[in-house]
Amino acid sequence: MAEKAKFDRIAKNYDFLKSGDTRRWAKAQLKFFRQLRGRVLYVGIGTGQEIAHFPAGLHITAIDISGNMLAQCRSRADRYPGSIGLVLMNTESLAFPDNTFDTILTVCTFCSVEHPDQGLKELRRVLTPGGKILMFEHVLSRNPVFALILKSMSFITARLSGTHLDRDTVGNLKKAGFAVDSERNVYLDIVKAIAGHK
Amino acid sequence: MHYKIIDPIIATLSGGMVAFAAARAVPEDFGLLPGMLAGGFCGMVLQFVLTFLLMPFLGAFEVMIPLSLIGMAVGMMGGMTAAWGGIPVFGITWAGAVSGLFISAIIHYCNRSLTRS
Repeated sequence: MAEKAKFDRIAKNYDFLKSGDTRRWAKAQLKFFRQLRGRVLYVGIGTGQEIAHFPAGLHITAIDISGNMLAQCRSRADRYPGSIGLVLMNTESLAFPDNTFDTILTVCTFCSVEHPDQGLKELRRVLTPGGKILMFEHVLSRNPVFALILKSMSFITARLSGTHLDRDTVGNLKKAGFAVDSERNVYLDIVKAIAGHK
Repeated sequence: MHYKIIDPIIATLSGGMVAFAAARAVPEDFGLLPGMLAGGFCGMVLQFVLTFLLMPFLGAFEVMIPLSLIGMAVGMMGGMTAAWGGIPVFGITWAGAVSGLFISAIIHYCNRSLTRS
């Protein structure tokens, strides 16, 4: 639960810390989120900065590990023209029955999940057969220079905020049994919009 | 915000700052290798501070990647040039600023080719 404490601590300043990323990635997210369909599970909603980029009319269940983050998210969720239910839950042990959701969305979540393999296994369990998983995540670059920078910075960010910059999320997704349909670079080969299915 | 304009400006200013700091930190006749290492260290420390200051405004990775390269490369160059002697700090700063702009252009080119779909 060390991750939970870290996110609880930074919840008040999270919007400010992430505002640059939110502005940079707005266009790519607006386009990517058009694929959201049916019953949607949003994993790691945080303060809900991405809600503004969702298409209207969706029925979303959003989870986060941090109660403080969810409290910050509340007003954004209430303003969304659709429905967003906020639930305090850990990705690694979801309380939903098997095959509950048609689409699962994660945005910069799997850099912070303590055991990504376990988290992805749980997501596969709650996704309906043929259901889509959409991941807007940062991963380790294949370029050795960028990879070296990310690995050195990850040493610091993992300790400060629990954020790992050296994850192979696409590889982990395949290992968890998902099929990867597309993998689009948003910034270099570090920030990616990944689409897959069960 | 027009990041196509802001990014190269930030890279140019950061390059100038790093080169200036490295040139001031490394005394003349320090030796080329120790000068390069000291300049590189100075640049890395400065880029670390700049990265954390600029990240909330300009995005984490879009700041971290260019500034890390600028901090190390320009810092090493600035330290080595200062140790060599005979070149004014003003000149080293200008060279650092131009190097920062050059690094920013390389990253822009890499990004364009990697994100083309």
